[in-house]
Amino acid sequence: MQNIRMLQQQVNSLISQAKHDIYTISVTSDPTAKQLRLQRLWDALTSIQFLNELLASHAISSISASSNGPAQPTMPASQPLPAPAAYPELTLPNQTFTIQELSNYDGKNGRPAYVAVGGVVYDVTNNRAWAAATHFGLVSGKDYTQEFASCHAGQKSILATLPVIGRLV
Amino acid sequence: MENYILPPESLTNEAIAARLTASARNGIEDGSVKKKNLVYLELNGCSGNIISLLNGANPDFEYMMGSMVNLVYSNSLMAAEGEQAIDRLIKAMDEDYILAVEGAVALRDNGLYNIIGSWQGKPLTGLEAAKMLGEKASHILAVGACATHGGVSAARPNPSQSVGLQEVLPDKDMIKLPGCPVHPDWFLGTLAHILLYGDPETDNLGRPLMFYSTLIHDRCPRRPFFDRGIFAEKLGDKTCLFKLGCRGPVTRTDCPTRQWNGHVNWPIGDDTPCIGCAQFGFPDAMAPFISYDTTRVVKDE
Repeated sequence: MQNIRMLQQQVNSLISQAKHDIYTISVTSDPTAKQLRLQRLWDALTSIQFLNELLASHAISSISASSNGPAQPTMPASQPLPAPAAYPELTLPNQTFTIQELSNYDGKNGRPAYVAVGGVVYDVTNNRAWAAATHFGLVSGKDYTQEFASCHAGQKSILATLPVIGRLV
Repeated sequence: MENYILPPESLTNEAIAARLTASARNGIEDGSVKKKNLVYLELNGCSGNIISLLNGANPDFEYMMGSMVNLVYSNSLMAAEGEQAIDRLIKAMDEDYILAVEGAVALRDNGLYNIIGSWQGKPLTGLEAAKMLGEKASHILAVGACATHGGVSAARPNPSQSVGLQEVLPDKDMIKLPGCPVHPDWFLGTLAHILLYGDPETDNLGRPLMFYSTLIHDRCPRRPFFDRGIFAEKLGDKTCLFKLGCRGPVTRTDCPTRQWNGHVNWPIGDDTPCIGCAQFGFPDAMAPFISYDTTRVVKDE
């Protein structure tokens, strides 16, 4: 019950924020501010939609629980977030990998997806550009120093966003 | 940027298109906008883009034919055939025209893998036609994945040695409209922009910013699931399709808001992942399109 209250509060605060954004957009003449507000409005709406789904699944599960029947499977949204501790090796920052060991982390069958660039091993399991542990025809579990240099030369900031797992030896 | 239309004016696709077409019609009537000739050339491809174009709604294809341009040549849609058709294609070069090309350019055996007709008793290859017409066109539109970067026609092992249009016209400016097929609005909207205001603003890859500036991922209605790490395990699940291989995070188009089939649906709206059809390098670089054997969370580990 407390969860439902919390979700309701979140929805209400998103709605007040959206109302304020609509007001700001209608009065401001700064195009950059407008763009930012529009972006935030969009994000607020998608979050409201998401919270709405959560509330609905709460309602469905409480109805099925009270009717004594077998509990219906609810949306995965009600599952707890995957704990980072699911892969204990993720928490060891200065692990070393040989190229053969690295090839085990290919993102298949629930394994994490790692790639090496410049001797550093990065985790790309949940990186948005690595859907299905692949990226523009490249599969994870390999050393991509050359490929990174040819496509993202000078864009070290991309690497800075990735969790470091260890070193390639 | 300062001419934003804000509420209470309607901002639906239909309302925006109605305003655009009205201003184009007014422009044509008062003589400030001139109807231009359009040559629509189909080279090595599947004609999917012109079929997509026939589904256009904002404006529709009939309006484009009647009011926006004079369609002087189209492999698929013109009534003339044989040498008579090619004759019209050649004569089109005597006047000013916009060239739209769909399909890749086949280079193998001097272009003989793609013959679009015969001229003066000799086969006219797509390669010759692209070079000849591209040199004289006032504007060039590369329409669809094959024309912009080779697309499906250039997928491995590429027996016809197909390439994108820019490879055979390296010095020409062209507007690139990737997509497999291209959305009718992307093509008709770009065409309308050229007639009304000149070339649209493009990114460093030649794509009009008005259609190709935002990542699908940033406008995806399932984004909250991605942010919370809740992923679909099979097709049909209503959560984020990232773990199945969704290419929304690397593909820049407005599919989530524009949608397809007259603004009814789009791939993720129908529970299938984005396959990145509007991304340079499609299809090879976007493979696998779907993967069930990936980094999903395993509960018993």
